[in-house]
Amino acid sequence: MTVIAIDQNLCTGCQECVKICPNLAIEGVPHQAQKINEDKCVMCGQCVQKCKSYVSAAEHGLAAYAEARAARGLPEWITEPLFAAHNVTHIEEVKKALADPGVFTMVQSAPAVRAAIAEDFGAPLGDLAAGRLAAALRKLGFDKVFDTNFAADVTIMEEGSELIHRVTNKGVLPMFTSCCPAWVRYLELNYPSLRQHLSTCKSPQQMEGALFKTYGAKILNVPIEKIFSVSVMPCTAKQFECSRPEMVDSGARDVDVVLTTRELVWLIKDAGLDFINLPDEKFDLPMGDYSGAAEIFGVTGGVMEAALRTGYELITGKAIPAVDITAVRGIDGFRTADIAVGDLTIKVGVVTGLKNVKPVMDALAEGKLDLHFVEVMTCPVGCVTGGGQPKLIDESDFEQAYKQRISATYNHDLELPVRKSHENPSVKKLYADYLKKPLGDLSHKLLHTTYCGDKKVAHH
Amino acid sequence: MANEFGLFVTTDITKCTGCKACELACFQVHNAARNKVGKTVGTITVPVVPKLYVTVIPSASMPVQCKHCENSPCKAVCKQQAIVKMNNQVIVDETKCIGCKDCLVACPFGAVSLLPYYANGQPVLQPGSAEGKVAASKCDLCYTEAEGPACVRVCPNKALSVSDVDAQRKAKNIAAAEALAVVNAGAPERRAI
Repeated sequence: MTVIAIDQNLCTGCQECVKICPNLAIEGVPHQAQKINEDKCVMCGQCVQKCKSYVSAAEHGLAAYAEARAARGLPEWITEPLFAAHNVTHIEEVKKALADPGVFTMVQSAPAVRAAIAEDFGAPLGDLAAGRLAAALRKLGFDKVFDTNFAADVTIMEEGSELIHRVTNKGVLPMFTSCCPAWVRYLELNYPSLRQHLSTCKSPQQMEGALFKTYGAKILNVPIEKIFSVSVMPCTAKQFECSRPEMVDSGARDVDVVLTTRELVWLIKDAGLDFINLPDEKFDLPMGDYSGAAEIFGVTGGVMEAALRTGYELITGKAIPAVDITAVRGIDGFRTADIAVGDLTIKVGVVTGLKNVKPVMDALAEGKLDLHFVEVMTCPVGCVTGGGQPKLIDESDFEQAYKQRISATYNHDLELPVRKSHENPSVKKLYADYLKKPLGDLSHKLLHTTYCGDKKVAHH
Repeated sequence: MANEFGLFVTTDITKCTGCKACELACFQVHNAARNKVGKTVGTITVPVVPKLYVTVIPSASMPVQCKHCENSPCKAVCKQQAIVKMNNQVIVDETKCIGCKDCLVACPFGAVSLLPYYANGQPVLQPGSAEGKVAASKCDLCYTEAEGPACVRVCPNKALSVSDVDAQRKAKNIAAAEALAVVNAGAPERRAI
């Protein structure tokens, strides 16, 4: 399954992508077309964000654009430039499902999507569009407009409990987050012997997908075989993640198709929706209900902060003195903090930008990493800068975009009535009615996994 | 006007990788107002038409762009007076261009191309026709931009710079004069006098 490709007719061999590829997966010589080594590619899509080699009327002729568009399976109404490095699209599969009255479509969107999607409609960088995103998805015809943020809250319940279990039972530490599929893949390829450090939690996307076809099927009384599960992600690697052979715990494929933020933009434009002026709508209950802690999963340090907000209260039984845990915020590639949780001191680390994880992993291999819990995100400042996000034309806008997408995310957290995952009423109900307890039998079946840990996953 | 001659952008070919960030930025600044191009690729609805042309040869790459010739052959041949000099820079008025290609023939560097011309997100039509027009497209040194040429600003490898060859020549004259002055002052035949 190819997720990221480089068009050999367009690539000028500038190798700007080679400089940023976190796993040295792009191979070739200067001034000639580059190739992706799929055995090494972690599918983060940062090359897609970087590439500027577009189909050019001046260089390739006037007919070349339509030819490239057709070769990629893109519809004819798309007029934006096409670049050499690109991700394989799945919009036609989604359109087909939406048009089929016999299919019950459920959609989820990652937190980072709402922090950037409006940019592709001409809005300022980092214009938060949570309500418009929900409205647009409903107008596109999705039967249920749920939200990955709900599963992010569930992730905190599971992963927080797993961390407490590991700390109190002399389990393998430090524990690393497993939300980021490019990071998981990188670990499998480069440090397979260290994979027991990875949390067994699935990512929020995969938890939500597994819940769609089990809990969702049950409460909505829809047969599992009728459900088509779509996710909208800021990420190109999520398509790879949902295709992993182990991601079928609901009894079917948990997530059928992933759209990147940019692909959803195409669907919205195709439907002729005036996105910027759509009146805000809410995500559907119960699996679209979310806390501020879930929302900050989209930025570096956010999973850690969300886990600490809940972990503190689960361990101490007291309200956390300050909900904003600024010690884990920031954009440095690797930062650590000691967090006092009652009588315990939890030593945490946050890595952002996958190239920054190598020294951390080397320290771990040498037994020199004295931490309990480490968050790793592949993209520059977390998912808000993912490979599937709106692509900036001018790189000198990167810094501003990063800053504004981050502040949009934290501002949304601040405005939400519930800011801790364990206080999300729909999550409480999920456990009371269905899962029973974190790390329980049903949680283990649906929400946890063992990653394959070898190269075979790339070629199934 | 400080510069005697027209300025132009030059490339340090040891730094240029041929990435086309310059072409894209060039297109962006020239189409922000005319075709509502915003900050992201998704806001682009018209063909990307640059005013400089990244050229890759086996040994190197560089954007080829207008030298703003003093005796501008393109301006000399343009029968529509669509090419003018403003503050020593050679500028095309695309609205006057009829696509006759004389400037393409005249330019020894291939710095001018004839490309589709769009306004308000739509092709501008040829007079009395349903077909879109083309217009000469070449560097205007971003004369409307306060920050100067976009290509220079965005190059990730800092390979591009604005050349003021007259100022550079004068600076070299001064450096040469200073060097010679030292040599001459120290020469034995000068001391003997």
